[in-house]
Amino acid sequence: MPTFNLLDLFQGITTLISAEPLILFGRLGLIVLGGVLVYFGKKGVLEPLLMIPMGLGMIAVNAGVLFLDPTTATHIVAGSAPAGDPNVAAELARQAATGHAPGTLFMSPLVEKTEGLMYLMQVDFLQPVYTFAFSNGLIACFVFMGIGVLLDVGFVLARPFLSMFLALAAELGTILTFPLAVAMGLNYGEAASIAMVGGADGPMVLFTSLTLAKHLFVPITVVAYLYLGLTYGGYPYLIRLLVPAKLRGLKMPPKPVIKVTSDEKLAFAVVGCAVLCLLFPSAAPLFLSLFVGVAVREAGLKYFMAVIDGPILYGATLFLGLLLGVLCEASTILDPKVLILLVLGIVALLLSAVGGILGGYAAYFFSGRKINPVIGIAGVSCVPSTAKVAQKEVSLVTPDAIILPEALGANICGVITSAILTGIYVTLIPLLR
Amino acid sequence: MKSAIFIAFTIYGIAAVISLFVAALIKGLFLIVRRVSR
Repeated sequence: MPTFNLLDLFQGITTLISAEPLILFGRLGLIVLGGVLVYFGKKGVLEPLLMIPMGLGMIAVNAGVLFLDPTTATHIVAGSAPAGDPNVAAELARQAATGHAPGTLFMSPLVEKTEGLMYLMQVDFLQPVYTFAFSNGLIACFVFMGIGVLLDVGFVLARPFLSMFLALAAELGTILTFPLAVAMGLNYGEAASIAMVGGADGPMVLFTSLTLAKHLFVPITVVAYLYLGLTYGGYPYLIRLLVPAKLRGLKMPPKPVIKVTSDEKLAFAVVGCAVLCLLFPSAAPLFLSLFVGVAVREAGLKYFMAVIDGPILYGATLFLGLLLGVLCEASTILDPKVLILLVLGIVALLLSAVGGILGGYAAYFFSGRKINPVIGIAGVSCVPSTAKVAQKEVSLVTPDAIILPEALGANICGVITSAILTGIYVTLIPLLR
Repeated sequence: MKSAIFIAFTIYGIAAVISLFVAALIKGLFLIVRRVSR
């Protein structure tokens, strides 16, 4: 009568108890963290559209580990970049050949060689989405296209210099985090990628890290999206700390409403796209995605708007969350550099917010104390969260004070300055190596 | 570290020039389109 070990039936548990203590506690910790993300997503503390699929993906990838069959495991080992230590490489090959290599059936992000990829696309269910849409930055472009459709550039066209000035000031974290990261031991590519968290724009961080620090793009992107959710929760306290109530409640004198036609907005999209693509071809996919969204909106192409605003934006967000969750395997996240990234990510967002408020103060003084300094924080380009946070904080002090149009102008310019900085980083950093 | 600070501020300078150029472009374009459409 054939016999079998009962634990072979429950390989998720077997791989857990046979793992090294660090991996065991890492897996358990990430399963709990996944649950926490789902909980905070449901409560609205973190962005639910992203956190709920991400949390579930994180739980599934850390729970559903099994011993891969020798053919699959050998394709993964042979298709990935060889391990630096030859003893480690030999041990991995031995485990793969004997069917003792732990892995999952979600995807294998480290496999680069075509043969391995083609095999895994028939085995791992998320591998096709990862290979064809994630690792080339397409998903970031889809999200950006959706953002373009949601943006009303009329707010920028009404006050371009003020909006751009505030957005530039709110890039302080994107700039100052770079030397801080280098001082903490990261190379230029890694430092630029984590510094982009200060731009508070998820697709930009994804694009920069995929281009400059592919080995760290998972933790960097996870850190970025986790922290972006915290801008809802943390920035109001920062505003109250840095801007006294008297200034927070400042009513801005009513200005004549500048009506911007859709023709003018479309002309801006065309010229803006041409100029920025000309200046930064490396980031041209991002610029095209953003401005195609703006152009579709302003040209009144309703059917395209419905496709971009619905299936493309929400489909991309769903798979982005799911893939980010599935990428959070214990062995990837337990990289010693992750702790540094956690610290630098929050420093970047904090510095950008402080820079934005300092920009707001500068605008307040230069305008003869007419501009409410709180609008500066809206230069942090988390569209439209930071603009809404700014308006909410002002309304708490003076309920009938309206700063939202100016805040949205700065907010949208924040997207443009983040894209410009992405273009500069991805173009300049490879030249410095 | 010194060179990283230098790179960071150079990048900020380039970004500032380009952003203000884009702002000027927006303003100029806005005025041109408005004048042409009259």
